[in-house]
Amino acid sequence: MVGFFLIALLLGAAGTALAKPWWMRGIDSNETDFLPPDVAFRVAARIDGDVLKVRWVIADGYYLYRQKIEVKAESPDLVVATPVLPPGVVKTDPYLGTQQVYMQQVEAAVPYSRLDAGAHPVQIKVTYQGCAEAGLCYPPITKVVFPTAGSSPVAVSVPPYPWEGIAIIGGACAFLLAGWVLRKGRKLDIPS
Amino acid sequence: MKTPGLRFLGIALVVILGIWAGLKFHAGQRAPDAGVPVPAGVAGAPDPKEAAELAAAAPRPVIPAKLPDFSLKDLSGKPVSVESWSGRSLVINFWATWCAPCRREIPLLKTLAANWEGRDLAIVGIAVDYPDKVRAFAQQFKIDYPVLTGEQDALDLAAKFGMTSPALPFTVFTDRRGEVVALFVGELHRPQADFILSEVQSLNDERIGLPQARRAIAEGLEAMANKHSG
Repeated sequence: MVGFFLIALLLGAAGTALAKPWWMRGIDSNETDFLPPDVAFRVAARIDGDVLKVRWVIADGYYLYRQKIEVKAESPDLVVATPVLPPGVVKTDPYLGTQQVYMQQVEAAVPYSRLDAGAHPVQIKVTYQGCAEAGLCYPPITKVVFPTAGSSPVAVSVPPYPWEGIAIIGGACAFLLAGWVLRKGRKLDIPS
Repeated sequence: MKTPGLRFLGIALVVILGIWAGLKFHAGQRAPDAGVPVPAGVAGAPDPKEAAELAAAAPRPVIPAKLPDFSLKDLSGKPVSVESWSGRSLVINFWATWCAPCRREIPLLKTLAANWEGRDLAIVGIAVDYPDKVRAFAQQFKIDYPVLTGEQDALDLAAKFGMTSPALPFTVFTDRRGEVVALFVGELHRPQADFILSEVQSLNDERIGLPQARRAIAEGLEAMANKHSG
């Protein structure tokens, strides 16, 4: 397992070293190490009782401006309140002043009501704007989002670590079990 | 008979457990953004791996060899054609007032404009922004090089440089014949700007040809990046 991770680390390091730096651009193709905005910032929403939860997952090295996040009703019968956002990380730029930003992820709670429940699917229009730490900004992005029903999070999380532990323990158990099975019935040939 | 049966059972158990653990571990490794919840089943939230594959598979927009003809309004609202700078090398900087790295570039661009004044090179800013905001910003920061503004028309122009997924800042360098020598995406810094401009000057003086200039810029920027990262 240690060997596996060592190889993975070495491969990762090699990959990083071979990757072109972000500001080295070819002339014949629009090669860039920057992510497309829809990959840098992914948004989804779910209905949680009388609140819509809108979540952004933000790629490493990218951030969203708190002040630029907007959530508006798109369905004709939907009324949404101002999104409730957690405090962000304070970022001070000499040329843009002090701003609150989000990194990794953020979830907005948006209280909502419906004038004619069930007549239309719930649709919201979200606007957000962010940048890459490496020195690139994307214009404000506006998307229509269909929040999924149900109070359980729509977000799917499959951390590899528990399975890694199970694999180690399972492997060790199987090894011991196999040893026990194979050894059973045999007598040790100990010279007297 | 009992011992070989048990032995077979033991081996089979090891194999099954091994396959199961391997599959589970593999599934865990494949999970995008491990540990970070990933929005699913929502319009506009593509699977990141799928999106990355699509982005990689999509044909890359090619930067035009020649500067496309365009006309945008200046800060007084008067249309200005790129032809105005015909016969001069251009540094065309796409920016916006809401973009922090764009703002950080302004002092450098002002310095370049001052250093190259009276020579065959012009700095032109293209603000993808609302004209009133750009006017106020240009006054506040005392921008003394020409600035054009546009909204959708500026985005359309950006797309002609291959920037179909708009992102700012980016800077286009041309020689005096209007050939695109380099396109720099992201915040421009002094060493890179000076290096690209020295190659543009060599090209203008006909000391090197366009392919050589492009290659030298690509290699030079890579060397600078390696030095920077090393």
